[in-house]
Amino acid sequence: MTDLLQLVVDGLIDGGAYALIGLGLSLTFGSLRRLNLAYGATAMLAAYLGAWLYATQQAPAWLVAVTVIVAATLIGWYVERLCFACTTQDATQARGAPVAGADGREVVALASSFAIWMQLEQLAVNLLPRHLNAFPSLAVSQDWQLGELMVRPDRMGLAVMAAALTLGLAAWLERSRIGLSWRASADHRIAAHLVGMPVERLQTVGFAAACALSGLAAFSILSLDGQVTPMFGMWALLKGLVAAMLGGLGSVRGVLWGGLLLGLVESLAQASFGAQGREFASYALLFVVLVAPWRRSRERFLATAVPG
Amino acid sequence: MNDAMVQHLIGLSSDMAIMSLLALSAYLLLLVGRVSFGQQAFFGLGAYASGILSAMFHAPLLLALGFGMMFGALCSWLLAMPTMTLSGLHYAVATLAFGEMARIVLSGWQWQVSSPDGPVGPAGIEGFRDIRWLLEHDITPAHFLGLTLAILALVLVVLMRTERTRLGVALRMTGQDDTLAATQGIDVSQVRLFAAAVAGALAALGGGLYAHRTTYIEPALFDPMLGVHAVGYALLGGLGTALGPLVGVMFDLGLLDATHLFSGWRMVVFGGLLALFLRWRPRGLLDEQLVHWLSQTLKWKVRA
Repeated sequence: MTDLLQLVVDGLIDGGAYALIGLGLSLTFGSLRRLNLAYGATAMLAAYLGAWLYATQQAPAWLVAVTVIVAATLIGWYVERLCFACTTQDATQARGAPVAGADGREVVALASSFAIWMQLEQLAVNLLPRHLNAFPSLAVSQDWQLGELMVRPDRMGLAVMAAALTLGLAAWLERSRIGLSWRASADHRIAAHLVGMPVERLQTVGFAAACALSGLAAFSILSLDGQVTPMFGMWALLKGLVAAMLGGLGSVRGVLWGGLLLGLVESLAQASFGAQGREFASYALLFVVLVAPWRRSRERFLATAVPG
Repeated sequence: MNDAMVQHLIGLSSDMAIMSLLALSAYLLLLVGRVSFGQQAFFGLGAYASGILSAMFHAPLLLALGFGMMFGALCSWLLAMPTMTLSGLHYAVATLAFGEMARIVLSGWQWQVSSPDGPVGPAGIEGFRDIRWLLEHDITPAHFLGLTLAILALVLVVLMRTERTRLGVALRMTGQDDTLAATQGIDVSQVRLFAAAVAGALAALGGGLYAHRTTYIEPALFDPMLGVHAVGYALLGGLGTALGPLVGVMFDLGLLDATHLFSGWRMVVFGGLLALFLRWRPRGLLDEQLVHWLSQTLKWKVRA
């Protein structure tokens, strides 16, 4: 019983990290209705810049954190200008299904953001060619004892931060004026434009902010490992995508539940079937959620729910 | 030209032809308006299926390739049954998940039979060694290249002939506007299922050829990068004609990879160029308009 409880707690704590990674992806999708495939690579290149600063200039951890976040924002801006700015100009459809069909522009946004993924990843690898690169470590090795459970305080802190950030952001998007205009321009571009909202700028800023979140997520997760590898880009994209997809892509609170569910399933699968079982379980979960028969009703629900 | 260079060219051409088959399978799905990030799975499944038949059961090459194709078509059709009704983005993610699931299953799968040279068969993450049909039957790389090119030419002829038929029109109509196509009496979901099955067969055919060319396959080869490259080639070359994906493959493998232009910076250049290019030509180089213009011009020339 304690073992099972321990697994659940570990899974939920891991889930916090997944939610943090998925948050930016879901935000981008919520406003643009486009999937940013370069998301993981953006976080990875930013993390590599931080690692480079750490390795060559012995920069302190806070400076690395600032660098990673600022770099992710700038790279995100570049990605948005190149891949997404033009693709939304004729996205004139009113609020319809949360995901439009694969119209030509959607395909192009997928493909060109993929191309940029390749580009960013290669840049990162050219910057630091080694497989393992040191990253400032904030890990705490001492475990907390809670009754019979063992909890890593640093991971716990990350999960709490992810939960607070997600819920706070969702509340802010619902209550604040900026949140309102962001939701309005995501909801119906033309109508938002007609009532005088700077739709283009809102989307660019929103995109860059989502990428800043990816930088924050990258720093928090990597600083617990104390290292960064070229696999990080792919990892971040896939885990973030699964978490965001499980929670309903575009929904901010949903990411938190999606991340927690993913962490839980992975932790249980790892205990039962080992490392390969863990990987398999996360994809199987995603697949089942996508094709499940209750999707129809969920999609109808999402179509009427406001993003946020 | 010395001998090593000729061998290198033969190998490169075979690779390009095999990759073209995979790109064509991505192209077929793009034609009906779906992006698949899971075509590498059918490439891998076809490679395993045909490798098993020829290396473990000593079947002739063409039979093994045919079996791989059927297997790929079947798997792709089964995957398309529940997923084709999803919207474009969800379909893309579902195929990605399927591709990864297939790769993980292959890396846990052990099935070996004994042979005079030791056990043969898929050995989980170690991969599948000794698919030596070509060596055992004294088929040189040049002959194999001939076979591969013949298969590719056959596929291209069939695809380009189909363009002119009702089926070809139905494929394009489905891709451009499925609601409109449905009102014209086209069974959109059947068209998409058919396209998915053929795409799976093409990818598996490419995989079968690949397995026999390299004699060794492992699950890690069939990662999402492979499938996404196939989509990239099809989009770069253009969706106007079946020759488009070939142009994409030639540009990347033939020009950038083979000449070591930009060496370590190849993906930086290629990625940036592709993104910029798609900004202005969202349906690739050989898009429908250009293909139409070309065919009109050529007709006029012939008449004059």
